[in-house]
Amino acid sequence: MIRKQVTRQALDAWVDGLIAAGRVVGAQKKGGRYAFDDLRRAADLCLDYDVTILPPKKYFLPPKEDILRFSDGRYESVSDAAPFTLLGVHPYDMAAIAQMDKLFAQDNRDEHYLARREQATVVVCDIERMSPNIFAASVGTATAADGCDALITRVGRAYVIESHTAKGERLLAGLAGAPDADAVTLARREQLWEDNARLMSRRELRVEPRRLPRLLEDAYDHPVWEEKASQCFACGSCNLVCPTCYCFDVQDDVEWDPSRGVRRRVWDGCMLTDFATVAGKHNFRKNRADRYRHRYYRKGKYVPEKIGDFSCVGCGRCVSACVARIADPVEVYNRIAEVQ
Amino acid sequence: MGKPRVAIFDFACCEGCQLQIVNLEEEILGLLQVIEPVEWREAMSDKSETCDIALIEGSITRAEDAERVKRIRARAGVVVALGACATMGGVNKLKNNFDLHDVKTCVYGEAADMPHLDTMPAMAVSEVIPVDFAVPGCPMSKTEFTCIVRCLALGKTPVIPTFPVCVECKRNENVCRYEYNEVCLGTVTRAGCGAKCPTAGGWCFGCRGLVDDPNVNAARDVMEQYGKTMADLDDRLALFNSKRE
Repeated sequence: MIRKQVTRQALDAWVDGLIAAGRVVGAQKKGGRYAFDDLRRAADLCLDYDVTILPPKKYFLPPKEDILRFSDGRYESVSDAAPFTLLGVHPYDMAAIAQMDKLFAQDNRDEHYLARREQATVVVCDIERMSPNIFAASVGTATAADGCDALITRVGRAYVIESHTAKGERLLAGLAGAPDADAVTLARREQLWEDNARLMSRRELRVEPRRLPRLLEDAYDHPVWEEKASQCFACGSCNLVCPTCYCFDVQDDVEWDPSRGVRRRVWDGCMLTDFATVAGKHNFRKNRADRYRHRYYRKGKYVPEKIGDFSCVGCGRCVSACVARIADPVEVYNRIAEVQ
Repeated sequence: MGKPRVAIFDFACCEGCQLQIVNLEEEILGLLQVIEPVEWREAMSDKSETCDIALIEGSITRAEDAERVKRIRARAGVVVALGACATMGGVNKLKNNFDLHDVKTCVYGEAADMPHLDTMPAMAVSEVIPVDFAVPGCPMSKTEFTCIVRCLALGKTPVIPTFPVCVECKRNENVCRYEYNEVCLGTVTRAGCGAKCPTAGGWCFGCRGLVDDPNVNAARDVMEQYGKTMADLDDRLALFNSKRE
């Protein structure tokens, strides 16, 4: 493991070097908020962002992608996977990526996702600033960064950069001349982790996530579903901004010569009216409340039963994205835990 | 099977949707591989008695328009309404909010009562004749139009999104207009435009009409939460969604 300690100036020089050598994406300002985008220079990189509008899942599962091309009765898979560095992912988003890694490798392997993932070097940065609706500390994702290739932590005016994998080590090659992190700074980093793990929450989940599958089992007819769903636009914003929502729709588009065309997949969301519409126009989750409940079951029960992780990482994006202000998982799960 | 014979007709509108077809430019050659235009006032002088597909833009605002559109229905196999005016009345329905005589006087002054200027409340094409497919939007989207034409040529039912514009806004990673304290109709408006207006920095005007199952109560309640009033919402809705069926 390489563990360097650098000034912001040295960090920027390193990042500019990475940009010169290949594709680097990082959080940047966008309309008063932040978004991951291709970096043109280190000066645009915001390591002190609170939260990005969309999670970095868009680099592994793009909002829209061609998955195969067909012509004259033949077809071929299409993949645009190419090496890139994803710089400055918050720990909760890393936790979400780690969950998707498991899900997309299970059963039918999703080669499109996995190929992009394979090509990525992911650098996590510890949270410097709390977003308005974060509750990562409440679900244990405020600090742990399992699965990342390297980790950046700001400690006072210094940055500690350490590698966790061989990919990360290669990335840190440009820092060979920088001093190793000193003991005092590392001790302060430990303290910072302790603080973040405790404090990075604006709201408190008052139920152990591992109890949720059981609690949800008995909450199928809970009044909260109908109550919240009555205000739901079925706009899917909560799904689309969620780092662990990965549902997609598959559509074919033909060219003017109908023997040629593409099959593409686009982001879908279980809150949308026709998400569960199948052949014959049968919709098995026709009511808003059914769809609303499904989302909480998915995060609290179905995915945990598949991979063992609570599928809400506490980024709070859904809370912020919901115009009707009904998408707060903490409120809903606390309600369910209350009655029982 | 021969290429379907297609006729394009215009009623009360700016003819911008027809212009979108002309604006396909080099793609028109592709379009012509799939259809045979037999009547299209904006682009050719031929006329035809019958057609397999009638593409109709514009609203029905005069008694003679209603008669004409019925005749079109009788001679066409499939009728497709193009754009906001044809699919839901669009901006033409603004006039339905006022007394008809006041509207005529405002526009034509002393000539308001001349018989050739007679008018009636604006209607969508589907309010007069059965319509098989609708291409929403003001103007309609070229991509959506060509996709629908290809679907029809293949005998496949075209799919128009049933979800709101928010979906496409999120896919584009836009900052929500409500975060800027603006009233945006994206939450109740049918997607398919790619959230063009919010992506360009505006709010959604609702030109594609409401989704099939809009949560109007939520739209009202939201106004209060954001310090707005029902009048603010109604003002925004009036432009494209006045006096809906």
